[in-house]
Amino acid sequence: MNLETHARAQQLIAQERVEGISQADRDWLGAHLQDCAPCADLARQTDQALRFMRTAAIPLPSGLASRTQFRVRLRAQELREREPKRRALWLACALSWAFGIASAPYVWRLFAWFGERAGVPKLVWEVGFGLWWTIPALFVVAVLLMEKVRQGDEPAWMRQDN
Amino acid sequence: MLMSDEAKTIARGLQKRDPDLLDRLIEQYQYRLFRYLLYITGNKERAEDFFQETWIRVLERGHQYDGKSKFEAWLFAIARHLVIDWQRSKKPQSLDTLTDPEQEHPLQLANENDPSPLHQVLSQENEESVQASLQRIPAIYREVLVLRFHEELQIDEMAGVLSVPLSTVKSRLYRGLEALRGALQGGAA
Repeated sequence: MNLETHARAQQLIAQERVEGISQADRDWLGAHLQDCAPCADLARQTDQALRFMRTAAIPLPSGLASRTQFRVRLRAQELREREPKRRALWLACALSWAFGIASAPYVWRLFAWFGERAGVPKLVWEVGFGLWWTIPALFVVAVLLMEKVRQGDEPAWMRQDN
Repeated sequence: MLMSDEAKTIARGLQKRDPDLLDRLIEQYQYRLFRYLLYITGNKERAEDFFQETWIRVLERGHQYDGKSKFEAWLFAIARHLVIDWQRSKKPQSLDTLTDPEQEHPLQLANENDPSPLHQVLSQENEESVQASLQRIPAIYREVLVLRFHEELQIDEMAGVLSVPLSTVKSRLYRGLEALRGALQGGAA
């Protein structure tokens, strides 16, 4: 047996445990292990190492689950209490926008009338109207951006929408 | 119940932040999550802290779990990233890091003369050789070993948890297996 044969056997020993091997490889390895004591030792040591690792018992700290359940329930309560404020904020945004759209023609006329009375150039009161109308929209955009920034703190792996 | 049905039920419950479901999940996964955290942090107190933080995060971000993958894979990914975030905020030389030693740092083997916290925890109930072996293995390899051989996650699921390509998972597994075997032989010698 040459070094390449042993190297192949050693690679298959690891591969079998990590990702599995084909039946042909398994047959070849089985035959090799019957004739090669060092490789058979390696296979045995590998299995023994994994068995030791699997059987290593880890004592669970007492009360860990109940302490965690308590903390989680407290946090859930906090989140529930915060929820109405978030809803109110969104409602305010929606109402503000709806009011802006509904009142736009009247406000346009009001701006036109005021501009005429004050002798303000048409462009100025038109820009003024534009600003007035876009303020609610800008407010909503600001809220959305804040929300986005908050979510941006989460790593991408956590969002399963990809 | 099929795995996917179970996952969907969990996803629906998490969407609603169902407290009873969370209680049940904490009970059900307590040992596995704690073991995983202990393996990657190597410290019992830290593992306990991360255990609690992980479940708080599950509560807060539960709506992002879609039930298409195993819940435990998502749970471990949350736990892992909390640990990584914490590690980033600390001095790297003081940690048994989860960074890829081939890409970022040389292998950081624990000092064999100092009993690590992981060793102290394990030494309560286990054989000397196992304790010695596990503490000698870098956290990055302990992690893949626990995911593959304790949790029996598939390699693609592990890639999801670790956010690395399949080839990296395999490479870490082979090196981890080698490290485990080597450490065990070293312990026996």
